[in-house]
Amino acid sequence: MQEWYDAIKSADSIDKIEEIRIAVFGKKGIMNAEFARMKDIPDAEKGTFAKELNIHKEGLNALLVDRKLFLAMEHLQATMKAEAIDVSLYSTDTERGSLHPVMETMDRIVEYFVAMNFSVQTGPMVEDDFHNFEALNLPKYHPARDMQDTFYFKDSMLLRTHTSPVQIRTMLSTQPPIRMIAPGAVFRRDYDITHTPMFHQVEGLVVEEAGKVSFANLKFILEDFLKTMFGDVEVRFRPSFFPFTEPSAEVDISCIFCAGEGCRVCSKTGWLEVLGCGIVDPNVFKAVGYENVSGYAFGLGVERFAMLIHRIGDLRSLFEGDTRLLEQFR
Amino acid sequence: MIVTKNWLNEWIDLTDVSTELLLKTLNSIGLEVDRHDAIHVADGVVVGFVEKCEKHPDADKLNVCQVNVGKEVRQIVCGASNVREGIHIALATVGAELPGGLKIKEAKLRGVDSHGMICSAKEIGLPSMGEGIMILDASIGELVLGQNLNQYGLFNDDVIEIELTANRGDCLSIHGVARDLRAALSRPLREKNVKDDQEGRLGIGRILQLQHTETFNAALLFGAVEVKELSVPLIISLRLAIIEEVYTTAVDAVLKYATQSTGVILRAYPFEKFGDVENKGIITLETDENGYAALYGKEKLSVIGVSQEKEAHFGANEGLAVIEASYIAPDVVSQKMGEKKVPSCPHYYRTSRGSEPSIEMGIRYAAELFEKYSSSQVYGGNIELTSSYEPRIISMVEAEFESFIGLKIDKTRITQIFKNLGLDIGKPKGSTFAISVPKFRHDIVNKQDIIEEVVRIVGIDNIPSKPLVFAEANQMSDDLAEYRKTRLYRHRAAQSGFYESVHFVFNERVQVEKFGFVCTEASKELLNPITATFDTLRPTLLMGLLNSASANVKVNQKKIALFETGMVFNTDRQESKHIGFIVSGAMESEKIANAGKPAVIDFASFTKLIADVCGSFELVSHTPTHSLAHPYVCAKVFINGAEAGELFRLHPQVEEEFDLPQTFMCELKMDTLPYALIEAQPYSKYQASYRDLSVIISKEVRYETIKAVIEKHSSAQVRRFYPVDRYVSESLGEQMSLTLRFVLQSDEKTLEEEDINAAMEWILSGLRDELGAGLR
Repeated sequence: MQEWYDAIKSADSIDKIEEIRIAVFGKKGIMNAEFARMKDIPDAEKGTFAKELNIHKEGLNALLVDRKLFLAMEHLQATMKAEAIDVSLYSTDTERGSLHPVMETMDRIVEYFVAMNFSVQTGPMVEDDFHNFEALNLPKYHPARDMQDTFYFKDSMLLRTHTSPVQIRTMLSTQPPIRMIAPGAVFRRDYDITHTPMFHQVEGLVVEEAGKVSFANLKFILEDFLKTMFGDVEVRFRPSFFPFTEPSAEVDISCIFCAGEGCRVCSKTGWLEVLGCGIVDPNVFKAVGYENVSGYAFGLGVERFAMLIHRIGDLRSLFEGDTRLLEQFR
Repeated sequence: MIVTKNWLNEWIDLTDVSTELLLKTLNSIGLEVDRHDAIHVADGVVVGFVEKCEKHPDADKLNVCQVNVGKEVRQIVCGASNVREGIHIALATVGAELPGGLKIKEAKLRGVDSHGMICSAKEIGLPSMGEGIMILDASIGELVLGQNLNQYGLFNDDVIEIELTANRGDCLSIHGVARDLRAALSRPLREKNVKDDQEGRLGIGRILQLQHTETFNAALLFGAVEVKELSVPLIISLRLAIIEEVYTTAVDAVLKYATQSTGVILRAYPFEKFGDVENKGIITLETDENGYAALYGKEKLSVIGVSQEKEAHFGANEGLAVIEASYIAPDVVSQKMGEKKVPSCPHYYRTSRGSEPSIEMGIRYAAELFEKYSSSQVYGGNIELTSSYEPRIISMVEAEFESFIGLKIDKTRITQIFKNLGLDIGKPKGSTFAISVPKFRHDIVNKQDIIEEVVRIVGIDNIPSKPLVFAEANQMSDDLAEYRKTRLYRHRAAQSGFYESVHFVFNERVQVEKFGFVCTEASKELLNPITATFDTLRPTLLMGLLNSASANVKVNQKKIALFETGMVFNTDRQESKHIGFIVSGAMESEKIANAGKPAVIDFASFTKLIADVCGSFELVSHTPTHSLAHPYVCAKVFINGAEAGELFRLHPQVEEEFDLPQTFMCELKMDTLPYALIEAQPYSKYQASYRDLSVIISKEVRYETIKAVIEKHSSAQVRRFYPVDRYVSESLGEQMSLTLRFVLQSDEKTLEEEDINAAMEWILSGLRDELGAGLR
């Protein structure tokens, strides 16, 4: 019997184990042959013989199962080892595309104002003088029109110079209260290092009953908005002039490049101009036939935000579809 | 608008105001500081007097000067052509360090010792003032030999450039800026003498007379000066250089300086233009051929607030000059200009924004300069044309200040602000203010303009931030849904490997027409395009994508996949939103998995990419309407039965023209892309069976035809079918073998063999009868 124990222990393959199993436990195996000998064993010894035989039966079986499991594991390990690859060869850049930094910035701006219960409104790019200028307190021959070099068409239509005509259209088609933003492309006839003939704006307008909206409300939302967009920055309001608001202000944030110390980007001032805003001029309300209302409006250039947030140095690169820029935003 | 601190100080006391506070104050009252440069001439640059000036013995172009610097006389070798005996100069003494790091040392020039350097303005860090050294004069203050130049205000100053908004014509002068600072700094202006001291002068009435028959909405004032021995003093020439103003004659310099100081429009004419002294000169005011108020002497001399005839300028250095100060309301002159544009001079910038209406102050200021810096004689009195001005009155209730601003400001503070701004408010009646607006503030016309003044002076920093309380409302507009739909497709495109690009909505008309696109109707075309390459509105997104892909190839990019969502315009300039795609060259980057040879984009891969973004669609053979597309690899795209756009390979000639490898493009109308919520359909619980059918059929037959026949002959159990293999060979000749896979399923039971066979047999019979197909 001992020789079988040794045989199992030294078996080196699953096939060999199977051979041994058949030789020991098969129909014609030695175990059956031993039990067959029972009938020749004197009765007095039968008990001892059977007991001993059963011990061997269990012992051999246990050993066999163990050995088989061991060999199976060993085989699996060998197989897997053969399948080994150099994973570091496969380190790879994503093949995903990306959203354009200006459009993605616009998305973030829109989401902020949607969360503040503003509605989103759009309007045509080809506009008329009334919606783009006249109704916005920019009468013909007003020197402020010089601020906006306009693209005209032969039939005296024009490309909107700001998204403000959308505010006029919204005011004409609905009634206060109004809380709206108008995101979209706008056009000015200017093309150099810091100007492109098309760029994007988001403008906002709030109209409520007279006496309800104050400059303090405008300050609150714009401070909160700018901190949402730029993080922990200081916000500064400077009085300024826009024909459609009065009082008007330009809004600066402390320079995000030098933390207000003064650097090239902020022209050593420590501040970056990012927004224009004000209390809606009464002439604008008059143009749309609103009476006894109050409101504020603001507007910003999306390219400027995108360039500051993503540290993009060249405005024109945003319109060139250059993969070397775009792939960085995957 | 450029100002300097010392120049401002002549109009308002700024001695106790630091430069930092001045800059901050200007910004906070809405006069945005664009630039600040300090002028500070280095220590060791002192006042010197050239006592002697002799030719250098060994150099033609050098002079040897003896320069008195008070305690001693130093020998200086100087190469400037304008050095001469008897002038005061700026001497950089040994040890002085000039801008640019030049350190003055003892030197020997061609064998002659030189103990310093006589400087030009530029060499000591001032703006360039022409050739040669800078000659000092008493206009800068008493000339004390040996005194450091930086002890004089002119050489120790702050230059501040202010970006003025279009409404603030009143700040287009030193006087105007000082006036605005008055309210912010709560202090008075230094009063200027505007009184005309006529004693001992010839009266102007003897030599000049004004005539007009019409009334004019302008104010004019004329004076006369017999100009004698006038040369431009240093304070004027240097300050004009600082504000980057050029002048022609000394008279021109004095008037430009006076205009910059006071804001009043000043012109000078030679007296002969009006007549001769014996017979009196006659100034005639008339409406000119363009409808403008114009000034005539013997001929037309100027247009009020707009221009001056070339021959009418006082071009001489001596002689009798007629000086004119004028004011015309900015809205009057700019409206006129809008109606009928005429040539204008630089003064028009001021008049169209509102020049200073205190014309008497302007003319007196100029007259004083003439008398101070020359032996010119100013005639007594003025000849004037006045225009009446009724001050605008704006009434406001105290509570309105708080409701607009969001901050309670007390009555006394409000009163004080208006007083300092020069706005007369009389005595408030109860809580009502009646505010009277002076002529120089043409920008103040309504309550909110008044509010703005208070906001500026109080400072926006001092206004609290308060959230607005409002009634909630459903703001889910159609435009928001549209915006979100576009955003969804943009995200999908980015996820499918496309880079989002943004192009101008302009195309080059010649280029897009060459490729067969139709542009904006000629009568509605852009009037003033910025360049010839952007001279029309784009009728398609394709050109922008194509040009960008081409630019990418030129910088050696091998894998190009771009998309854009944006507006395109029809001939009537109606906008519609499209989404466009381009894939050019490799489909993926080079890597181990593709052994460095990524596959080039092909039709099947491109359609898969588009389907990943846009969902399922159907392609129908299509002959392209433009010449960008390969004539035989071009399809119309249908989404849910609606025509959505085109998908095609780029024409090989266009690929060549744009240096592109194999390229595919697609442009779809956004409104055909689905965005509705999905309704789930019931689906069968029974097992589906798959059957392949291979038919031999003519190569000429398009799959869309085969598909139509199969659909006609499909029983309800045929759930789907699709082509899986197309095989052609020489032995098949004009035929092809097409293998189709069918998915069959029933809602009621698991299909039996005979059900399936019957369904397949019917399809096969249809193909056989209608298309002559045989079983392979």
